Amino acid sequence: MGVLDSAIRRCQINMETESQFNQLREDARRCRKTVLSMIVNGNASHIASAYSCVELLVYLYKKFLKINPINPSDPDRDRFILSKGWGVSALYVMLAEKGFFPKELLEEYCKDGSKMIGIATRNGIPGIEATTGSMGHGLPIAVGMALAGKLQKKNYRVVVIISDGECDEGSTWEAILQAGNYKLDNLTVIVDYNKWQSFGKVEDILDLKPFADKWEAFKWSAKEIDGHNFEEIHSAFDSLPFKTNKPSVIIAHTVKGKGVSVFENRNEWHYKTPKEKEIEIANKEL
Amino acid sequence: MRTAFLNELLILLREHKDIFVITADMGFSIFEEVQKEFPEQFLNTGVTEQSSIGIATGLALSGYTVYFYAQAPFATMRCFEQVRLDVAYQNINVKIIGTASGFSSNQLGVSHFSMEDIALMRLLPNLTIFSPGDPLESAWATKAAYKIPGPVYIRITKNGNPIIHDTKKTFEIGKGIEIAKGSDFTLLVSGSLLPMAKQVIDNLANKKIVGTLISLPVVKPIDKEIILKAAKETRYLFTLEEHSIIGGLGSAVAEILAESDSSVFFRRFGVPDKFTSITGSPQYLLDYNGLSQEKIVKKIIGYLS
Repeated sequence: MGVLDSAIRRCQINMETESQFNQLREDARRCRKTVLSMIVNGNASHIASAYSCVELLVYLYKKFLKINPINPSDPDRDRFILSKGWGVSALYVMLAEKGFFPKELLEEYCKDGSKMIGIATRNGIPGIEATTGSMGHGLPIAVGMALAGKLQKKNYRVVVIISDGECDEGSTWEAILQAGNYKLDNLTVIVDYNKWQSFGKVEDILDLKPFADKWEAFKWSAKEIDGHNFEEIHSAFDSLPFKTNKPSVIIAHTVKGKGVSVFENRNEWHYKTPKEKEIEIANKEL
Repeated sequence: MRTAFLNELLILLREHKDIFVITADMGFSIFEEVQKEFPEQFLNTGVTEQSSIGIATGLALSGYTVYFYAQAPFATMRCFEQVRLDVAYQNINVKIIGTASGFSSNQLGVSHFSMEDIALMRLLPNLTIFSPGDPLESAWATKAAYKIPGPVYIRITKNGNPIIHDTKKTFEIGKGIEIAKGSDFTLLVSGSLLPMAKQVIDNLANKKIVGTLISLPVVKPIDKEIILKAAKETRYLFTLEEHSIIGGLGSAVAEILAESDSSVFFRRFGVPDKFTSITGSPQYLLDYNGLSQEKIVKKIIGYLS
């Protein structure tokens, strides 16, 4: 396809000073705290899923994505899809902080009659680009958007966060095969590799290793980072695309429930709403 | 019917740069011209119905009107959940073309038959469903789909369907088309069995049993008005389709009648609720399932006497 000539847009993010990283760490702490209150308030689930991708979302929304809350459907905007749509509470916090909607809306999370659904849903909430959460949907949609960007000769980037559990789905691998073939170097996937899926550990259920090799074999360029370390996140995003004519995958090693000791690596927090004891610990640790 | 679709698609592609055609590796001796003339508007995504619906969605969310082409069972059933969430729920401009529908792939068995596609598509809000019955209806559906601001399913067969309508006839979304008028009974037909329905009407007319024939190329939204009018004007009402008797035209009409005050005598002609585990010509398979002009004429005479 002649249309797939590369359009490289180097990130020009000035991240020289330590204070900027400190600011991001503070943003992440505040995001976790808001997510906690939203989930408790809405008697909702998936706090651990949201916590594992907080730093990734903070970096995207504070530093990377070229988006404008005044014009959320600008055809030249960067596209972000949270394919692991059940982590949407953290995304809502980022969108509210960015000014896509008033922060008061966060209080409606998972409440009767609210549009603030517990899965990313394109139902009129500004800034949500696609309905996801049914596993294996986000990446194929992102491939379509990246393809459209190439066809229309636009410079926008498409970024999608998928879960490790979603890498069980056939549709995910269909899309990985397609994006590699179409040389979509305007597409970046971040795998929130927290090593847990719905009913157990990834390596016990369907092991993904050797993970980066699989992507590389499908004509992607892969980097592995600590998904909670802003220096490493920045360094990965600053070198996009990793290779011209190849889509990039950032395999972000993360901890499910990161940030609060009682949530970390405990699968029950995929489901349960924190009660008094956990809320107290979380508030102390955050 | 397929050639009519293709010719109309070529006209649309020449007129509209925002149309994009995706095929899940179907199109041998069909899409060569499209591929050659419109390389920037055509992509064979490979045998990947699920991710192809996702890609179509991403393109539609970026301003394209996407025609997605695959065999009917795979275009609707293999990726049903993607069609439901990505396309129907998000109410986007993806037009799904299910080709080789019904018993079109007659020698290939249950894997390639589609008796369930309309039933499944009818379940989805926002979707407009076309089941054209001749090349004119097929060409019209292809063109009309472009103008509908939302998702569409068009069920087509392979080629070999005769033209039934007057070429000057104009069609309207959600409106049935009266082809013959009579007071003894009404036959409602949707899709590939339109020629058979015409034969049934003509055959019975020779026997002095004069019926009304209505073609319903749009199954959803269905023309409720024309159905209730027919139920009022004739005492017998029948449906005919190359689809399971569950969930297709027959069910749609039954749902309307059940919630009306009509006491019309109503029966459905369609594929019975069992798998067809044999091979044969399309006519043979239809006849095996009770769908032949002779069998339907005989049944209607029985019901009317």
